[in-house]
Amino acid sequence: MTFWQYLEAKGPYLLTTLLGGWPQTAIVAIGSLLFALIFGLAVALVRLSAWRPLRWPAIAYIEFFRGTPALVQLFVIYFGLPDIGLSPTPLQAAIVGLGMNGAAYLAEIYRAGIESIHRGQMEAALALGLTPGKAMQHIVLPQAVRTMLPPITSFAIVLLKDTSIVFSVGVVEIMALARNLVTETLHSAAVYLIAGLLYLCMTIPMSRLAARLERQRQAWQ
Amino acid sequence: MSKLPQIYAENIHRWLPELLWFALTTLKIALVSFALAVLVGLAFALLRTSRIVLLRGLATAYIETARGLPIVVLLYIVYFVPPQLFPGINWQWFTDFTGAVLGLGLHGGAILAEVFRSGIEALHKGQREAAVSLGMTPAQSMTYIILPQATRIVLPPVANYAIGLLKDTSLCSLIGVNEIMNDAKSIAFADYQPMAVFVLVAVIYFVMSYPLSLIVRVLERRLAVSR
Repeated sequence: MTFWQYLEAKGPYLLTTLLGGWPQTAIVAIGSLLFALIFGLAVALVRLSAWRPLRWPAIAYIEFFRGTPALVQLFVIYFGLPDIGLSPTPLQAAIVGLGMNGAAYLAEIYRAGIESIHRGQMEAALALGLTPGKAMQHIVLPQAVRTMLPPITSFAIVLLKDTSIVFSVGVVEIMALARNLVTETLHSAAVYLIAGLLYLCMTIPMSRLAARLERQRQAWQ
Repeated sequence: MSKLPQIYAENIHRWLPELLWFALTTLKIALVSFALAVLVGLAFALLRTSRIVLLRGLATAYIETARGLPIVVLLYIVYFVPPQLFPGINWQWFTDFTGAVLGLGLHGGAILAEVFRSGIEALHKGQREAAVSLGMTPAQSMTYIILPQATRIVLPPVANYAIGLLKDTSLCSLIGVNEIMNDAKSIAFADYQPMAVFVLVAVIYFVMSYPLSLIVRVLERRLAVSR
């Protein structure tokens, strides 16, 4: 049977099976995005703190997590943490692993966004009697969101693609099902090509969106 | 956690030399696929800016596809798909190392094509026109006028890509290449010390990538064009 005949006969079966992994891929992507958005903001604020001893651990965190592969971080969390008495499930490990990794990248995006807002904005807010926290919340961050939105969208695309490594800690998402299917059918060509198409259907619209947001941002400035 | 120093004291003389030996494979993959990515990137940047619509369309399709696919999926496709599509050919030479380098190189080529294109497009057309009107040949204007200016723009993102590539080589362990990550797995599970081994591997990756990112920062400051 040639490749095309096989694809015609078994294509729908392969596609529906792979689609079964889509919810897990989405859960890992959205879960780790939320984790990274929240934790990354905390890291960015600490990183920008006026107090040097506080800045230092944030810098160390950002540099270390950006300087090591996400795969290693996942392995430390999933296989390493049981050594110290914590046993995360595959899903927890994937969300925390990709989330902590992403927080380091997002912290730098947040920082660039906050620093792009003119100092005068913060000073004016403080002069009007707002506390530094309130000034950040009501004056600086809402303006910084405009600058940060395009890189955050690009980051979300990278994160979505990175979910394809979490099968290595046992999450049954698209790639895990693809590997199972290959063991079952021995037809790696059809399976991996369909899996690739599934990812493209998600990432290409997102990168269109990122490009549009970037154009809008440039139009504002 | 308190036991970690003790675990390292007892085992590091066995673990470190072995891991560093396999780190060489990691570096080898990174270097070869970087070279491939630069070549592929240059070729597609030229095609992408070509005047022929068909070539431009093909280049765009390639770039969008390779950038839209997760690297792991691309590695699996490059390594497993061709032998199955063309079973008549002898695939003996197609080792996991070759597959890894091809996959990473094709992915990097798409990223670098966009970097190179933006470098070329950032230069005002007047630069080349002025050089030609001064009597330079197209090759001379490329060597003395265009490339020196484009390099300034392109070098920091290329260096950033190289750092990303070094970390992405860890994904080659998933198609079975015997690099540092794969070796770490076998040590970790043979010695029942996953925490200690994987943290040590993280440190080794950091030691390899951090100097590079310091260099990028210096480059970015030095090459920043004041406009």
